[in-house]
Amino acid sequence: MLPPPAVFHFLWEISTDLVKDGASVRTYGRLISYEPEESKAILSGQQSSAQYNMSVQTTLVEPFQPTLGAQYFVLGEIEKTDGLSGAILHARTLSNVDGVDLTLLQKAIMEQRCFFKERLPEMNVQAFNCKPSYMKNL
Amino acid sequence: MAVNLGDADADELPSMLWGLDPVYSAYSKLYITDILQMKESRQVPGVYFYKTHPLFQVDVLGTVVYKRERDDFYCYGVDDSTGVISCLCWKDEKWSDQGESSKCRDPSGSSRGFNIEDELKRLKEAERKSTMLEIGDLLRVRGTVKTSRDAREIRANCFYKVNDPVMAVQILHMLEMPQLYRKCYDQPFQMPKDDLGGTEAGGSSHFHRLLSRSVLALKEFLLEKEVARFRPYDVEFLLHPLIQSCSAEQESDQPGTSFATQIRKLLKETLSVLQDEGQIFRKIRTADEVYNVTEQDKDLHTAIKDVLREDTKREKYAEKGCHVLHILSSVRQRYSQNLSREVLEVALTFLECNSDIISTTEAHYTVL
Repeated sequence: MLPPPAVFHFLWEISTDLVKDGASVRTYGRLISYEPEESKAILSGQQSSAQYNMSVQTTLVEPFQPTLGAQYFVLGEIEKTDGLSGAILHARTLSNVDGVDLTLLQKAIMEQRCFFKERLPEMNVQAFNCKPSYMKNL
Repeated sequence: MAVNLGDADADELPSMLWGLDPVYSAYSKLYITDILQMKESRQVPGVYFYKTHPLFQVDVLGTVVYKRERDDFYCYGVDDSTGVISCLCWKDEKWSDQGESSKCRDPSGSSRGFNIEDELKRLKEAERKSTMLEIGDLLRVRGTVKTSRDAREIRANCFYKVNDPVMAVQILHMLEMPQLYRKCYDQPFQMPKDDLGGTEAGGSSHFHRLLSRSVLALKEFLLEKEVARFRPYDVEFLLHPLIQSCSAEQESDQPGTSFATQIRKLLKETLSVLQDEGQIFRKIRTADEVYNVTEQDKDLHTAIKDVLREDTKREKYAEKGCHVLHILSSVRQRYSQNLSREVLEVALTFLECNSDIISTTEAHYTVL
């Protein structure tokens, strides 16, 4: 009855093996294109000077006011296709969060991940570089 | 059924100490996955344990991913990225008749200055709107954890939509939660320092825990074996596993006290607690230490019933029944001068549960 929890992932992680087919994720990115007839949107994100794009199927969240260039927060299921388009996110929720502090958001997600990794050392969570110095700054 | 205290409440804090843990009185901000996985207490159903902390109220913040609406409640499925839980949110009746009144509001509101009625209507309308959420909205719920039909859910005491246009609230939440866990929830519960006991703080709190376990053990034994009378050495064996398990844990107890001394002290305190509660009593104060078990003592019950039967025939007590103190003095004359009020109350409650007698008011009893 209740959908599975959607774990936070960055756009650049979605096409890697970290995210399985069918996984529920939540992520964010800049809206760079939207085709209402096909209900397809593309979100873009940047990491280490590389651009990452992801397709979003927006059937379930229409109608919405698309603002190109704005940051959007999206939650849904990943479908991995073998084709060129890579992964597609079937969005269950989509919201405009333009103005969000991207650096702070990234820091918060990492902080939370570090904590989860601390709690469950036996589980194979993503091995990111956890900087405990964040705790001293807060 | 042997009284096995090895795992019964060995892990859990005894319930009489729960109020000392601030987490118990607060709406704990936990991850939903922890709320779903935490164990229910063996001592009191409805209270749960996250590690060493007892709790039953939580505060969650998450995205609405499921919605079900009925006439009198909403059921929202909340996802905070660690888990999804359903929240039962009752609608407030005062919102149901807002439909017509909202239309006759003065939209500008400036000409009349501060009109209290309009402002109240606007406030009610705002309150109502904050409880109507759609999938994708951010919801904050504060409520009680309940397990119904094998599923955990939260019965909301307070819930509202959070306006978070730039994700500031969610970011703060993600930064705050690990801190809370490290500083509070993951820290083992510490008993507050007890200066009244002569022993070290650790020692006296340890003794309290031991005492509540021994009281429980004795009560269970007396009930199960239907013991009517006993002497201290008859029940001493029940305390042996408690002392043995505690010395194995190597707590900072008084070093050098022998096993026998510890047992004797624990037994003395346990019997004293049970006497104060009225569960046991000494009918005659002789050198021979014999304890009667209140709920099993048939002679006591008969004495009480006789008193009531005879006295309620008298006009004075016919309508209202006999007051507890009157029963106490009568039974003392008939049965035992050492009877305390607590013992009588335990016996009266027992008889009432068996429908032998009836209470007419809180302190009066009669027999039909």
